[in-house]
Amino acid sequence: MRIVICYKCVPEEQDLKIRPDRTPDWSGAARKIGQYDLNAIEAGVRLAESAGGEVLALTAGAGANDSKLQKAVLSRGPAAMYGIKTDEETLSDSLATAYLLKAGIEKIGGVDLVLCGEGSGDIYARQVGPLLGALIGWRTLNAVSALSFAGGALRAERSLENSREVLRVDLPAVAALTTDANLPRIPGMKDILAAGKKPVTIWDAAEVSAPPPRGAKTVSILAPEKQERRQIIVEGESEESIAVFYGHLRKVLR
Amino acid sequence: MKKLKSVWIIAGGAERIAELSAGAAAWGEETALIYAGDREKAAGAGTVYYLGPLTGVSYLSYIPAIVALVREKQPELVLVESSCDGRLTAAAIAAAVGVSALTDIDSLEADADGGGIVGRRMIYGGAAWKTERVSGPTAVVCVGAGVFPPGETAPPPGEVIELRPEAAPGTRLLEQQKKPAPNVNLPAAGRIVGVGRGLGTADNLGAVRAFAAALGAEIGCSRPVAEEERWLPKERYIGVSGVIATPEVYIACGVSGQVQHMAGIDRAGVIAAVNKDKNAPVFRQCDYGLVADLNAVLPRLTELFNRA
Repeated sequence: MRIVICYKCVPEEQDLKIRPDRTPDWSGAARKIGQYDLNAIEAGVRLAESAGGEVLALTAGAGANDSKLQKAVLSRGPAAMYGIKTDEETLSDSLATAYLLKAGIEKIGGVDLVLCGEGSGDIYARQVGPLLGALIGWRTLNAVSALSFAGGALRAERSLENSREVLRVDLPAVAALTTDANLPRIPGMKDILAAGKKPVTIWDAAEVSAPPPRGAKTVSILAPEKQERRQIIVEGESEESIAVFYGHLRKVLR
Repeated sequence: MKKLKSVWIIAGGAERIAELSAGAAAWGEETALIYAGDREKAAGAGTVYYLGPLTGVSYLSYIPAIVALVREKQPELVLVESSCDGRLTAAAIAAAVGVSALTDIDSLEADADGGGIVGRRMIYGGAAWKTERVSGPTAVVCVGAGVFPPGETAPPPGEVIELRPEAAPGTRLLEQQKKPAPNVNLPAAGRIVGVGRGLGTADNLGAVRAFAAALGAEIGCSRPVAEEERWLPKERYIGVSGVIATPEVYIACGVSGQVQHMAGIDRAGVIAAVNKDKNAPVFRQCDYGLVADLNAVLPRLTELFNRA
């Protein structure tokens, strides 16, 4: 079984600064593997460990070329990493991202199963996995909270709002995994050293795929307008402090 | 606003159908609902396409039929319930039509320049709003709860067309379990007491419950409390990826005030906070604050409210 895990390199949210005009400033922000993608990587690696197979990692967009991030993903178990380089702008849209990933999967070839995180760590529209599956035309699942391989097919549990269902799904398939699926491992020193020796392949977006017909166009990205709050703060556990705080609450709770 | 010719909705729960149906009626001349579930509940739009039951059937098996129907009829806008199955369906339609679906949209407008629909969603864990425009023969939008107020009068019962498609091959449902209905409706709560990690241990929840009871408030929490500490069930977690709540009063207890959490509550009328760390960001985002140890002050506050 050949498993490809798709992941996104997202900016570190702690490094976000907001400019006076409310636009985000990511200059100097570090990048990391999207936190939800870590569950997809772990699920793929565990599946290959138990059922046999090969695990490959694929990313598109910013960070594809970053050797630190390449090692970070490879230290988690995949045997090789593939990246599709592009400029940030192209990838603000989930359809464009899914087109690129589809092209990457076709270029890798012989793929039986694609795993994604339920959503990206920055935008979290939860569309790329489902779009990718629909574009390739494979059986597609989201909200997958447990995944195993038995009797030549996937056994997938989906955790939905009002129910839980377990499905037997023939390959090839695309599945998006939730954070309930597993606890991602922390790579050890041996894994980190081994990661440096694993193969990395980088393609240019232009050589793998034509841009999709009609994605969403970003009109603006703006921090919320600051809600003015009174900020009347009292300190301490004295009867007085509690009485003052109680008085405020009492007024608004009338 | 010039109405679109045809607006469809895809939803399951009665409340969400009522909301989306009101939205569809405001946007479109003709409306249709695509529905799976109990046959007698298949109502809420001018035309109802009934897929079949959901007992013993996964919604997944209906998606190819939904995609085929939308491609054939080409509604200009499809409003989809924001749910796991909804997002999967939206993506399947979007991929077939060649557009991007907008998800978790909290406001929707017609593009002033004509041609296109503009939606707004939260990104970066609540640190920013992203406004996007989609155009195309069919726009697909997953709409969050509460975006459209439900209509005052129920829409007239429409014609019901039964589709009952064959299940797609290669997928078989092995088990299906209903989850117990959630016993809290935080978006509808007028008063909420929010629990953060600053509570210390689950043993202290008793004091919070007593306090909330004295106020007649519901209990909510931050993401780590539900997902990491597991002191409270997930349905109670307030934040960008959880519940967006708009109570008249929110009292944050041991909540640090991370943006992911505050984005889910910043439309509260009044925010109060108790935290022993006076540098906690929550104090810069609240109306009334008390810098104190929760376990010392909550029982005393509870007593004051009970006496009043």
